[in-house]
Amino acid sequence: MTAPQDTGTAPRRADLPAPAVELRGASRDYGSGQARVRALDGVSIAFAAGSWTAVMGPSGSGKSTLLHCAAGLEQVSAGQVLLSGDDITTAGERELTELRRGRIGFVFQSFNLIGSLTAEQNVTLPLRLAGRRVSGKQVRQVLASVGLDDRRRHRPRELSGGQQQRVAIARAMVTRPAVLFADEPTGALDSGSARQVLRLLRGMVTSAGQTIVMVTHDPAAAAAADSVVFLSDGRIADRALAPSAREVAERLARLEA
Amino acid sequence: MLRLSWSTFRERGQLFVGALLTVCLGVALVQSSLLILLAAATGGYVEAITLLGMTLAIATFLAVFIVASTFAFTVAQRRRDLALLRLAGAGRSQVRRLLLGEAVLLGLLGTGIGVPLGLLVQRAQTALLTGLGFVPAEFAVPWRAWIVAVSAGIGTGVAVAGVLAASRRAARVRPLEALRETGAAARVMTASRWFFGVLFLGGAVALAIVSSFAGPVAAIPLSINIAITASIGLSALSPLVVPLVGRLVGPLLRGGPLGTLAAANLRDGVRRSASTAAPLLVLVALLLGLSGTLTTLGAAAEHELRQDVRADLVVTTDGPPSVAGVPGVAVASTELSLRVPLTVTTVDDGEVETDTDAAEAVAVDPADYQRTHHRTAAEGSLADLRGHSIASGEHPLGSVVDARIGDRTVPLRVVAVLPDSFAGADVLLPRALVPPAVAEHAPAHTLVRLDPGADPARVAADLGEGRVQTAEAWVARAAAQQQDTSAGIMTVIMGLAGLYTLIAVVNAVVIGAAERRREFAVARVSGLGRGQVVRAALVESWAVAAIGLFLGGLAAAGAVAGIGAAAVRSTGAWLVGVPWPLLAAVVAGACVVVGVTSVLTSLVATRPRPVSLVGAGE
Ligand SMILES: Nc1ncnc2c1ncn2[C@@H]1O[C@H](COP(=O)(O)OP(=O)(O)O)[C@@H](O)[C@H]1O
Ligand SMILES: [Mg+2]
Repeated sequence: MTAPQDTGTAPRRADLPAPAVELRGASRDYGSGQARVRALDGVSIAFAAGSWTAVMGPSGSGKSTLLHCAAGLEQVSAGQVLLSGDDITTAGERELTELRRGRIGFVFQSFNLIGSLTAEQNVTLPLRLAGRRVSGKQVRQVLASVGLDDRRRHRPRELSGGQQQRVAIARAMVTRPAVLFADEPTGALDSGSARQVLRLLRGMVTSAGQTIVMVTHDPAAAAAADSVVFLSDGRIADRALAPSAREVAERLARLEA
Repeated sequence: MLRLSWSTFRERGQLFVGALLTVCLGVALVQSSLLILLAAATGGYVEAITLLGMTLAIATFLAVFIVASTFAFTVAQRRRDLALLRLAGAGRSQVRRLLLGEAVLLGLLGTGIGVPLGLLVQRAQTALLTGLGFVPAEFAVPWRAWIVAVSAGIGTGVAVAGVLAASRRAARVRPLEALRETGAAARVMTASRWFFGVLFLGGAVALAIVSSFAGPVAAIPLSINIAITASIGLSALSPLVVPLVGRLVGPLLRGGPLGTLAAANLRDGVRRSASTAAPLLVLVALLLGLSGTLTTLGAAAEHELRQDVRADLVVTTDGPPSVAGVPGVAVASTELSLRVPLTVTTVDDGEVETDTDAAEAVAVDPADYQRTHHRTAAEGSLADLRGHSIASGEHPLGSVVDARIGDRTVPLRVVAVLPDSFAGADVLLPRALVPPAVAEHAPAHTLVRLDPGADPARVAADLGEGRVQTAEAWVARAAAQQQDTSAGIMTVIMGLAGLYTLIAVVNAVVIGAAERRREFAVARVSGLGRGQVVRAALVESWAVAAIGLFLGGLAAAGAVAGIGAAAVRSTGAWLVGVPWPLLAAVVAGACVVVGVTSVLTSLVATRPRPVSLVGAGE
C-alpha cells in the first residue's frame, strides 16, 4: 500500500508510475473582496493508483473543495490538477464530460439518485449517456456486486439509505472509473449500513485495485482506508498511514481544538 | 433519452400536466380562432374580420407566451435533476436534446388533445359571436382537414420555441449544482433578459407615441400591440421588481416570522416568483389595456358628440320623418346612416389598382347640417356638399372616389376633408344622392333646433312620429350603445383568451407549490406548524400576484396612454378612461384565485408527514 505523498515542488522521478490524481499547489478562493474565502490553500498531494485515501478535517476545512477540485467539478484558482498524469486544470466542458463518462466516478452523502428511475436504470444511466450498449447480464452483475440484484426494479424512495448508497456506488463503478471520489459516503447512514458500504469499498480496492479518494469525518470510516490526510484551514495539517479509529479521533480532536 | 424524458415527466406529474395543459389549450384556441376567421373571410362577413383577426393574434401571442414561460419555469424547476444527469456523464448537447425531445413529445400530445378540444372552443366562440350580434345566426364554421397539420405545427412549434431558450440555459447547468440543496440560484437577470426587456419596453413606448398621433382609427389594434410588447418587456424585467416587493412584504407583516419567511422565499425564488407573475401580468395588461382604450374612445366620442351637436331635440326614425311645418321648429337636419363601399382607383406605372373599403356614411342636407353642428371641415367646405360630392376624413381634397349607393355606383369628388374624429361618421354625403328606395329603410336621426321661446315638450308632442328625445338624452344613449359594443368587443377578444390566461395563472401557482414539498417539510421540522407554512405560502403568492398586477397595470397604462394623449389633444378635456370596476374586479379576482390555489396546493403539498420528505435523499 502506498501512502499519499506530499509532492511539494520537488520533481517526481521519471520511473515512478503517474499517480491516479495529483494536486500541485492547488488553491481555491470563493467570493471576492471582503467576503473572500480561501477554501483550499496551496495544497500539493498525490493519490497513488490502487490506494484508498481518507481526507479528514474539521467542518469547513476544505475537504469537499479538495475533492471537487480533484474531480474537475470545480476549477482551482491557482495550481494544477492532474489525472493519471494528464493536466485537467483548464479542461473544457467537453473534456470534463468525457472524464465523467469514463475515468472518474462520484458518490455523495446525499446519494443523488434520480428519483424517477429504478435502481437498474440509475445504474445504467452513465453507460447510456455515453452511448454504450448495456447488457442485462452486466447490470445484474454490477447490482449483485453491491448486493442488490433483487432490488433492480425498485425506485430510490423504496430503498433504505444504505441500499440507496450502494446503488449510487454501483452507478459510479459501472463505467469502471480510474478514480472513485466519495464525499462522506457514510455520512447519512446508520452504523450497520456504513460498515456494509465500507466493506464494499475495501473489496473494490483489494480485488480490483480501485483508487478511492474519500472525504469523511467519521474516524471509523477513515480507519478503513489505507491512509488518512488531515486538512485544516485549507492546508494539509497532518497525515497517517493505516491508523486505528482511536488514533484518527485523537488527531482530529487536536485539530479541532 | 426519450425514455428518460418520459420517466422524469411521469415522476413530476404536476409539471407534466401543467405544461401539457398550456399546449393543448393554446392549440385549441388558435385553431378555433383561425377556423372562425377563415369562415368569416370566405363567407364575406366583412365587419367581423377585423375583430376576428385581433382575436387570432391575441390567441397566438398568448399560446406562445404562456407555453414559453411555463416551459422555462419547468426547466428551471428541474435544475437539480439536470445537474445530476451532467454528473452522471451527460454532455451539454444531451441535456438540450433531452429537453427538446420532451418538447416535441408534449407538443404532439398537446395537439392530440388540443384538436378535438378546439372544436368545443370553436362552438363557444361562435356562440359568443352570434350572441353578441357580430355575425348572423346562420354563421357556420366549416371543418377543414388540413387544420390538423397546422395545429400540429403550432403545438410542436410553440412547445419547441418555448423550450429553446430554456434548454440553452439548462445545458449550462454545472454538475456541482446537483449537490447543493437549494440549487445555487443562478443569476436570474441574464444578458438576454436585459436585452429583450429593454428592447420590448422601448418598442412599447414607441408604439404608444405612434398611437397618440394615429388617433382613434387604429387605436384598438395599437393598444393591443402595446399591451403585448409591454408585457413581454416587463415580464423579462420582472426579476428586478421581485426583490423590491420582497422588501415591502416583511415590514407589512410587522416583522412577524411568517412575513420574514415569505420575504426570504420571494428573494430566494426570484425566478419562480417572476414566472408565476408572468401570466397574470399579461392578463391584466390585455384586459385593462383594451378596456381602458375602449373606455377612452367612448368617453372621447361622447364628449365630441356633445360639443358638436347644436340642437334641442333629436327624432330617431327609420327613413326620413316629416318634420316640415311643425310649429316651433327652427331647423331640422335629417341624417341617414348608410354603409357605403368606397372604391379608390389609382394608376401606378400604368397598372390600375382599385381598393374598396366599406365606410360608415351619413347622408345630410349640407345647409341644415351646418346649422345643427359645430363641426366644420378641416379643408374645403361642407357648403360644397352638393351634386356628386363627398366629405371624407381619409381621402385627399379634390380626389374622386366611386361610391356604391343602393344598386348604383357613382363617382364622387371630395369637396371637404373632415377633421379627425372619435364620434363622427367616416364620410358625409349629400342626401340627394340616396335613392328614395334606400332612404326609406335607412336608420335616421333628425336634429331639431327650436324657435326661441318654443316649448320643447309641445314640439316634441307635435313631432309625434318616431322617437323624440332631448339632444342630451340622445348623446347619452349613443354613448351607452357604444359601451355595449365595446363590452361585446372585449368579450369576443378576451373571453376565451382571458380564460386561458387565468388557467395559466392557476397552473403556475400549482406547479410552483408542487415542487416545494421538501422545502415545506424542512420548514415544518424547523418548528413551523402546517397552518403557518400554508399561510407563509399564501403571503408569498399574494406578493407575487401583486407584482403581476402592478406590472400588468403598468403595461395597461402604456396601452391607454397613446390614445389618451390623442383624446386629450383632440378634445381638450381629460378623458383618459380608467375602467375602475374592471380594475377592482381584476384585483379582487386575482387575490381570490391565486390565494385559493396557493392554499389548496400548499395544503396538498404539506399532507405527507414532513419526516418522510426530509429524511429521504431524494
Ligand atoms: N460555493 C461556495 N461559495 C462560497 N464559499 C464556499 C463555497 N463552498 C465552500 N465554501 C467555503 O469554503 C470553505 C470550505 O468548504 P468545504 O470544502 O465545503 O468544507 P468541508 O467540506 O471541509 O466542510 C468553507 O469556509 C465554506 O464556507
Ligand atoms: Mg463537506
